[in-house]
Amino acid sequence: MSNQDLATHDPAAWRDGFRTGLPTLFGIGAWGVVVGVAMIKSGLTVPQALGMTLLVFAGSAQLAALPLIAANAPVWVIFVTALVINLRFVIFSVLLAPHFASLPWHKRLGLGFVSGDISVALYLQRYPDPAPAPGKVSFLKGLLYPNCAAWQIGSIIGIFLGNAVPTDWGLGFAGTLAIVCILVPMVASKPALCGVLVAAVVSVLAADLPYKLGLLAAVVVGMVTAMIVEETGDKWRARREQDSKATHV
Amino acid sequence: MSDLEIWIVIIALAIATALTRSSFWLVGHKVTIPPRVQEMLRYAPSCALAAIIAPDLLLDGAGTVHLDLGNARLIAGIASVAWFAWRRRMLETIIFGMLIFTALRLLHLYQ
Repeated sequence: MSNQDLATHDPAAWRDGFRTGLPTLFGIGAWGVVVGVAMIKSGLTVPQALGMTLLVFAGSAQLAALPLIAANAPVWVIFVTALVINLRFVIFSVLLAPHFASLPWHKRLGLGFVSGDISVALYLQRYPDPAPAPGKVSFLKGLLYPNCAAWQIGSIIGIFLGNAVPTDWGLGFAGTLAIVCILVPMVASKPALCGVLVAAVVSVLAADLPYKLGLLAAVVVGMVTAMIVEETGDKWRARREQDSKATHV
Repeated sequence: MSDLEIWIVIIALAIATALTRSSFWLVGHKVTIPPRVQEMLRYAPSCALAAIIAPDLLLDGAGTVHLDLGNARLIAGIASVAWFAWRRRMLETIIFGMLIFTALRLLHLYQ
């Protein structure tokens, strides 16, 4: 397939991506509200908070930066913290980049910048194979753009509501619930379930690590666990098949 | 921090986001990833999602683990998993989970 076909706008695929992501937009928006409120409550001015949400678009990195700003931490510490929190996106991009290698660089730059956790997970469920397929780019855009818009609208609402929203409403919990829904179908296989459980435990145990390294540690340990479980399972299956062959001979 | 310093931080955060999110999209096709690593990376999105939500479900503000009935988030989270497994509707699950969470919180049943 030519690059042209891959990049051609496919309205049906775009709508498909939009419908796939639609149920998550509510949770994303609520999460955005929380981050918006948090920025104002931590003492940022409205222009600063707007600048942060429009330029950064990375909720967990923003939330982690706020106490560091309040504590007058050096810029490089905040920078390193944000890098570490976002390192999982390097892993995501390793998975996604081969799908879109033929797009012009500025499109790849833009699509990469607006890719969020939930969108990446939903995209890879639909298109696990990196081979070019018609409608892929449009499907991804149908996921990413509304996701980004929901986040920004939520953030901006949060910024202007500022101190009016009590934190104990726990609006951010809606974002957590959206992720819960996406995770349930993803843990259908035994290796994935083991990986997810181990990642969850590690993220809780390592929550206090500096630079939020706990998140990265959880992803890496979870992945390795899933791989080990998968390979052990394969070995057992191979041995069982051999045994049954041996008995039938 | 001064206004200027905060803007420097915002720019630094934007650069950190762009570096991690977009760099591999730009150079990825020039790098070959061993198939074994690729296989392992397939599990990265689910592990990352789990690592994002687990602290929210299990830790309180002070960083203490709560595995008991007093943890409204955990209870609402478990109830939501059950609801989603049954109904398979995401928005419905989020609303259901928020109602449970809010009810538990308002009733102070477990506090």
